[in-house]
Amino acid sequence: MRSTSAELHTLTGAYAVNALADTERTAFETHLDRCGSCAAEVAELTATASRLGTAVDSPPPPHLRARVLKAAAETRQLPPRTARVPRIRRLREAGGLLVAACLVAAVVVTAQGLGSTKDSDTLAQISREYSQFTDFLSTPDVKLVSAAGPDGATGTAVVSASRDELLFLSRDLPEPPADRVYQLWFLDAGDPRPAGLLPATGSAPMMASGVSGAQKVAVTVEPQGGSATPTNPPMMVISLV
Amino acid sequence: MPKRERSLQSIPRDDDRPAEPTANDLLALVARGDEAAFERLYDHVSGSVFGLIRRVVRDQAQSEEVFQEVMLEVWRTATRFDPGKGSANTWILTLTHRRAVDRVRSAQAATHREEHVARLDTTRPFDEVSEQVDGRLEQRQVRRCLGNLTDLQRESVLLAYYQGYSYPEVASLLGLPLGTVKTRMRDGLIRLRDCMGVTG
Repeated sequence: MRSTSAELHTLTGAYAVNALADTERTAFETHLDRCGSCAAEVAELTATASRLGTAVDSPPPPHLRARVLKAAAETRQLPPRTARVPRIRRLREAGGLLVAACLVAAVVVTAQGLGSTKDSDTLAQISREYSQFTDFLSTPDVKLVSAAGPDGATGTAVVSASRDELLFLSRDLPEPPADRVYQLWFLDAGDPRPAGLLPATGSAPMMASGVSGAQKVAVTVEPQGGSATPTNPPMMVISLV
Repeated sequence: MPKRERSLQSIPRDDDRPAEPTANDLLALVARGDEAAFERLYDHVSGSVFGLIRRVVRDQAQSEEVFQEVMLEVWRTATRFDPGKGSANTWILTLTHRRAVDRVRSAQAATHREEHVARLDTTRPFDEVSEQVDGRLEQRQVRRCLGNLTDLQRESVLLAYYQGYSYPEVASLLGLPLGTVKTRMRDGLIRLRDCMGVTG
């Protein structure tokens, strides 16, 4: 289901109080990137909502303080974002990126085919998304990995450590069962970390941040809305190292 | 009134200038790996962070878990905080709210949430919510400004923010069309914003 720009604009309040479902939130955030007035309103309404948070102040149990400080001292911080420096890539790497770019292009073409091609708003959004991925794909340190899943499905991840982000693309994944969604996970030494829900529109690309430290990404089937920890074994695992 | 956040330069460099650094100042130091600044930031924000999580999640043990995750995420991602996009307090509480709501939604997803909502539908929970908020809000300004909202605006905003309900769930509780709830939330927050003088 697609929303028009005007409909999206009225979501500023619901977004600020975090009352959108994941898919709608993603669509709205895409809209935000190219709607300056919405972004300004969202900033103000988010700041307003956070006052409601400040108003329910309640001190945490004292023993948590030392625990949190110790955990912080033992946790590496994310690197800051950097300005991207152009660099000549090795042929093999560039070849892989070309594949990724083609995959994105194929996805974009598919998405156009599915939607109403006359909808200029949708087209603008897709082209904006495409340019966002082009930008991501041109990050100097991106790395492309892929793996096969069940029934000929494939998953491809493009990872940038410097941006701490990952672009995930799937092809030929079967429709999830009713009331179920696909969820992506980062796997490292600790518990699996949720990386986001795969878009409902089959093979649409998704971005996930927080990839640093992850050794693998995995896809599981989860109840609508996703889970805090996986409730099913992974149907696809891609090694990032 | 909008609060002016002090710039990093205003952090006292000598002990003879005991001005309190703001959360923005502290977060900028935390981004550079300053553990002492993180300790101070913890003391600065842990009350609102925990209070908000407790309000949304309710369960004490789960609230403690989410609290630790959030505080660690503040440490880990401080490098990504952009003061141009809002204050440190807003950034931290937005992160907090997102995590708290994620927790209740994933728990609900596992337990037939529609039945859950249907059951709540018959118990008029928003009266209880408003009462609790009125009774426990520490900031007079927030309470006063909430009083300026229409009942439906206030209930829409508070059910979403403090209960972690999505707007379709709020619509179901209040028996209103989805579009109405979206606009109530927006109008309510705009009215709050104007009353509090928030500038983002």
